[in-house]
Amino acid sequence: MICDTKTMSLAAKRYIARFAPAMTAYVGVLFASIWWIRHHDPHGVLLWLLAIAPALPVIAVIAIMGLYLIEEQDEFVRSTLVQAMLWGLGVTLAGCTAWGFLENVELVPHLPLYLVFPVFCGAMGVAQPFVRRRYQ
Amino acid sequence: MKNRLKVLRAERDWSQADLADRLDVSRQTVNALETGKYDPSLPLAFRIARLFELSIETIFQDEA
Repeated sequence: MICDTKTMSLAAKRYIARFAPAMTAYVGVLFASIWWIRHHDPHGVLLWLLAIAPALPVIAVIAIMGLYLIEEQDEFVRSTLVQAMLWGLGVTLAGCTAWGFLENVELVPHLPLYLVFPVFCGAMGVAQPFVRRRYQ
Repeated sequence: MKNRLKVLRAERDWSQADLADRLDVSRQTVNALETGKYDPSLPLAFRIARLFELSIETIFQDEA
């Protein structure tokens, strides 16, 4: 999502400064949540809270990406990022729709929904250099 | 959209990085502008025009 660190914009630096702790929190919360559910067999509200906990840092990452888009002052960088995001969105929607129908007839294994965001990020990441190349 | 950015920059002996610094954008933005494949927004076009002390129409040529 971000180019070389030397020429990084203030918004990009801010993005990294927010993204790193959010991902660290994600790993920590994910492991803590899995461990607690496995070892303490919680029920009711506690189970709801522990199960949803790993989603919160991921939602934070989505918000952090949105903030970066708002704060980035370089309009060309913003424009290419939005295009890459649209590619990511399109690939994710198309891929998940196709996968769902294949899943229906048990041709492919079940895909947990929490993988949708990593799939989006991956597709967006792959799209970025291609989008940039169109302007060279 | 065609433009004279590359020529204007060369006349002043500026590198793409120099122009990027002066416009407060990234070097890749200057490159995309110079190839004519990326059209700047009006605010950026005005910033470019002010920097070169020229009118927008002198720098950018509408092909329509």
